[in-house]
Amino acid sequence: MTKLNNFDRRYYLLIAAGVFVLLIVVYPLWQLFYRSFFSAAGFSLDNYLKVLSTPVYYRSLFNSIWVALATSLLCMIVGTILAFVLVRTDLPGRGRLKNLLIIAYSIPPFFAAIAWIQLLGPQGFLTRPLLQWFDWSSAPWNIYSAGGIVFVMTTHYFVLVFLTVAAALEQMDASLEEAARASGARTGRIMFGITLPLVLPSIFAGGLLAFIGALANFGIPALLGMRARFFVLTTSIYYALSIPDFPLATALSMMLVVVGMLPLLLQWRIQKNEGRYTVISGKSVHPAEIRLGASRKPLFLGVSIFVSLMSLVPMGSMLVSALLKYWGAPLTPANLTLEHFAYILQLDIARRAIGNSLLLALLAATMTMFVGVVISYLFVKAKLPGSRYLDLLGTVPYAVPHTVTAIAMILAWSPPPASLYGTFWIIVLAYLAVYLPFAIRTTNSTLQQIHDSLEEAARVSGARLLRRLKDVILPLASPGMIAGWILVFMPALRELTVSILLYSHRTETIGVVVYNMQDAGYSEVAAAMACVVIGLIIVGNVGLRRLTGGAGF
Amino acid sequence: MKTLTKIVSVSVIVGSLVCIAPGAAQAQGSAKGKVLLYTSVPLQLATQFADAFMRKRRDVEVELYRAGSTEVIRKLAAERETGGIRADLIWLADAPLYYELRDRGELLPYISPEAKHIPADIKDPKGYFVGARLINLIIGVNKEVIPVKDAPKSWKALPDFGKKVVMGNPLYSGSNFVQVATFVKKDGWGWFVRARAKDVAVVRGNSEAAKALAGKEFGLAVTLDYIVAGLAKKGAPLEIIWPEEGAISVPSPIAISRASKNPEGAKAFVDYVLSKEGQEFLVKQEVIPVRGDVKPPSGQPAASQIKFLPIPYEWAAKNASELRERFEKIMLH
Repeated sequence: MTKLNNFDRRYYLLIAAGVFVLLIVVYPLWQLFYRSFFSAAGFSLDNYLKVLSTPVYYRSLFNSIWVALATSLLCMIVGTILAFVLVRTDLPGRGRLKNLLIIAYSIPPFFAAIAWIQLLGPQGFLTRPLLQWFDWSSAPWNIYSAGGIVFVMTTHYFVLVFLTVAAALEQMDASLEEAARASGARTGRIMFGITLPLVLPSIFAGGLLAFIGALANFGIPALLGMRARFFVLTTSIYYALSIPDFPLATALSMMLVVVGMLPLLLQWRIQKNEGRYTVISGKSVHPAEIRLGASRKPLFLGVSIFVSLMSLVPMGSMLVSALLKYWGAPLTPANLTLEHFAYILQLDIARRAIGNSLLLALLAATMTMFVGVVISYLFVKAKLPGSRYLDLLGTVPYAVPHTVTAIAMILAWSPPPASLYGTFWIIVLAYLAVYLPFAIRTTNSTLQQIHDSLEEAARVSGARLLRRLKDVILPLASPGMIAGWILVFMPALRELTVSILLYSHRTETIGVVVYNMQDAGYSEVAAAMACVVIGLIIVGNVGLRRLTGGAGF
Repeated sequence: MKTLTKIVSVSVIVGSLVCIAPGAAQAQGSAKGKVLLYTSVPLQLATQFADAFMRKRRDVEVELYRAGSTEVIRKLAAERETGGIRADLIWLADAPLYYELRDRGELLPYISPEAKHIPADIKDPKGYFVGARLINLIIGVNKEVIPVKDAPKSWKALPDFGKKVVMGNPLYSGSNFVQVATFVKKDGWGWFVRARAKDVAVVRGNSEAAKALAGKEFGLAVTLDYIVAGLAKKGAPLEIIWPEEGAISVPSPIAISRASKNPEGAKAFVDYVLSKEGQEFLVKQEVIPVRGDVKPPSGQPAASQIKFLPIPYEWAAKNASELRERFEKIMLH
């Protein structure tokens, strides 16, 4: 009797989570898919034929793919090397360098693009002295190019590879390495023959994150691509919306979804076949540190310079720009001013945007974690039939670029009776869809590490579903859940792509205000706002790390 | 678990503060009549202007939505699909759009008592819209990159300077859209084909073009007079060239939406924009006034002294999508 009762209750959870995923993910995407087959002439394949027959559009499809591939490849190389150096060697100051990298990742990609224009643009802070030094008439590089886009994307997304590989290296079982060492293998041989193959799945997992991130990114190609007349799918969608050609935009969006889904499905298949829950065994033996010897100091210098270039230099450039009277003014004390900071701090829209973004991030993080735990529990612990598909559907938005999610939300939730367009709530819905995968992923991995026997014991002792969740699952999962909460909160705080398409007066977000300022030519004011926001993010990060003992992101 | 409780309680406190703040603002505002303004006027200028108006009319509260002309048009289109236009006032640089809005029956006619001071060629005879600021597309030159004597004197000569030239994108900017329509109606697409062949750069809008000009990334820019004048006043080495054929003078009209729930407040704002005081405020921001009885910014000509190219408003409004699409095909690829 009890068993049947429990069985039923878990199905209630399954149905509730199913309805949520249906409303937030499936219905909007279905709307998008369905509308992409309608043109002025009615139901047809015209929109897709237009994309495939117009060089402009099929080239942007091709550009999207190769930019994302190149970015993820570079990220895998840079991220893996750094992870090895910072985790497995005796390099001094490793902890601090690692923190700097995480700060680099907390700079929103769109701000990073602005900062790199300021640094390496035709009149950039780094370009000008180099031009004089080498007596060049113009720089041999061009930030406004496909190469510039790949470069800036790499400076942002390599941290994802670094974090996944570093985690794998830290948790790796050292016994295999020890065995090789005992048999007389040299360090280089061990690294390439044993360690690297062992972390290869993590390298590819990080590379996949970088691929999808680069594919979905709008801010970087929007700022750097136009002058080079280099378009990717996200920017083409934006222009299709400007012409305005809404059917074309939906067809382009569907193509972007397909490109993003392919690697995700591949990963899903692989995970299904391999032993999925390889729980990392207790770290009885800590892997030995590699002694760098004489190369310790030069390597330290090299890594420090690289890490500062990725983190401190862009932030410094942002700060200097915020202090300049106008962009391009010579760097002299007379041209420095605090007026842009004063302006931003008294501007109603800026203050309101900070409030809105905090509230949105709070709602998104809390609600997605709540639903994420339910879905994870059903999938990982209860293993109910159908929960596997719930898990997959909930993860789908991860592969859907945010621009597309925003358009799908407009299609699904603005026609009456649910006319949410222009309200705060449509942004909330879109954020829920965008961040649900992060919540599901982190809770999945947390719940996988909790052995089934604990819940079984509670069940056998007569504890009901809610009691088991409250007293067994949640307390054990809470550290992972807090980490997941932060993982959603931080990017939501600075979100741009979704908000720029959905905001209205009074629902401006931080990202929108910075983008609008930059866009209207007030790059100094945009930089000042960005400095305030990065300051908030760093303070929040440090605060949360203190609070949670290192779970900050 | 303790830390989770901490986080939750902190979030609840922060959250409730955040929730209360806008709520309180709303409660305070409810006594006033609200007016929602959609505009492409740069945010800094628009907020200052709205503040100046609100100091005068304490019973009206102006709310702003500021974005590029094309983004505002997109928003209007989305609102049209989902229950109607929400703006009370529309003030964009895309002058042709107003003909479309008028023909759709989405504008409320209003002849402001101040409108008699506005020249007839920049206002609708029935009062559906009225030119509220003259923004002029001109050639801006950075003297440190190209000496003024070597700079082109006409639109026609401009594309020959190739990579040194930058212009804004009509897929984003309303005034650049007017430029494209004007050039194409007059001489066809030849100017743009030539500009593309010589690699004239395209950036998002006039502000970005002017900024890149000030930053010496380019020597010449098709951009707006008041932005160049403002930067020059801050010390940037910029100068305005009034092209021989005539400047493209965009009247940046203001109009009241028919769906406005506060037409009286909206009318008061229109009156203020057109008033001597309102135009004098714009002059301080280097904008050339639409009224003959307001002095232009120092160093700038009065509207009556400038030679203008005729703008094909209604034609541009009818062919807007085709013009944008063709521009994209020629210039952006």
